Amino acid sequence: MPAQAAHLRFADLRRRFGRLRVLTGVSGEVAPGEALLVNGPNGSGKSTLLRILAGLLAQERGTVELSQDGRVLDLSERRRSLGYVAPDLALYEELTAFENLEFFARLRGVPAERGRELLDRVGLPHDRPAGALSSGMRQRLRWAWALLDRPRLLLLDEPFQNLDRAGIEQGTELLEEHLDAGGLAVVANPGPLEVPRVRSRIELGL
Amino acid sequence: MSGRASSWASEAAAVFVKDWRCELRTRYALNTLGLFALTTLIVVSFVLGPVGAVPELAVTVLPVVLWLIVLFAVTAGLPRVFVAEEETHTATALRLAATPSALFCGKLLYGLTVVVALEALITPLFAVLVKMPVARPGLLAAALLAGGYSLAAGSTLVAAMVAQARTKSALFAVLLLPVLVPGLLFAVQLTRIAVSGEVPGQELRMLLLYDGTLTVAGFMLFPFVWNP
Repeated sequence: MPAQAAHLRFADLRRRFGRLRVLTGVSGEVAPGEALLVNGPNGSGKSTLLRILAGLLAQERGTVELSQDGRVLDLSERRRSLGYVAPDLALYEELTAFENLEFFARLRGVPAERGRELLDRVGLPHDRPAGALSSGMRQRLRWAWALLDRPRLLLLDEPFQNLDRAGIEQGTELLEEHLDAGGLAVVANPGPLEVPRVRSRIELGL
Repeated sequence: MSGRASSWASEAAAVFVKDWRCELRTRYALNTLGLFALTTLIVVSFVLGPVGAVPELAVTVLPVVLWLIVLFAVTAGLPRVFVAEEETHTATALRLAATPSALFCGKLLYGLTVVVALEALITPLFAVLVKMPVARPGLLAAALLAGGYSLAAGSTLVAAMVAQARTKSALFAVLLLPVLVPGLLFAVQLTRIAVSGEVPGQELRMLLLYDGTLTVAGFMLFPFVWNP
């Protein structure tokens, strides 16, 4: 459960790739226990927006503020306070599902037991190499990785991609629990999506 | 050790263990470095023969050849430390989870152990095949360790710099060589003294100073190179 209430606010985010303008002044806000849904066709900048919010890509203009008890976290604190599920996120194929989570648990100062607990929760075999997982199982592993240290903010880029019906239900349940605990979520998807407690939406266009 | 320092050390150790675990399962760097070094060693020993029997040649030629073999093997195998993270998209997870300086430290230690293992394999074979005399074995070990550290620290930092570029291999070689030349010159000079048995001057101190400079520069530059 996230220990303290957090708040995400971003304003006037702009980003170009060469001459291509991808984001042209995007703003939004997410309060504790709420989700923000970002919709738009492929290439409209959903992933770019989430990468900027995660601190993985620098914006050209605009601000991103993730605050905790009224204090704005710096970039490195922000990165370590969020969980990220995205198609471009991969884990080590040579390591088993548990070894992957064990490694990241050590980096984030979380007991390795949390990794076992999450693998059981998403229904993944602990000892199968990540390289031998199906695409749906890899998506479940991404969910487990994102929730490893009970982040305050979840950034979910096409979170139910490749998941079967049970996986989608499980993901929705995990997201609900995260929001129940006062966490924040930004969810990006090309089409409409059943997401609990969406308080605001952003429509991105080409 | 304070909690913060202990968690930093634990992060660095986790990266080191993870890299070795992945390496032992794929053997990419070990095979590349080992095969490259052994092939070069065999060619050199066939071409030069037991050249160490001639004292002048042993002192002037063999230290340079030994370090060239190590240098090119390292250039062939070590860029993977960061390039593989980018190519396989694991860098995203690392950026979100790891403290940059602890990540650099873990990767540097991994690179250092790979280079030292390579030197431990190559040097005795080289000494036997070309009959390289070693008048000061302790100094030779110091040269290999300190010179190996130069190679590991320089290549770890440069690998991080080029990992996000498109032409990684070309850029790695272009950037790496100027970074490594000062350390290599001291390492060759030290090896020469270890072979000849002369009294050493300031070479070891200079090499250690250069290693220290590379380390400080690495820890200062890495967060800027690693973060977008």
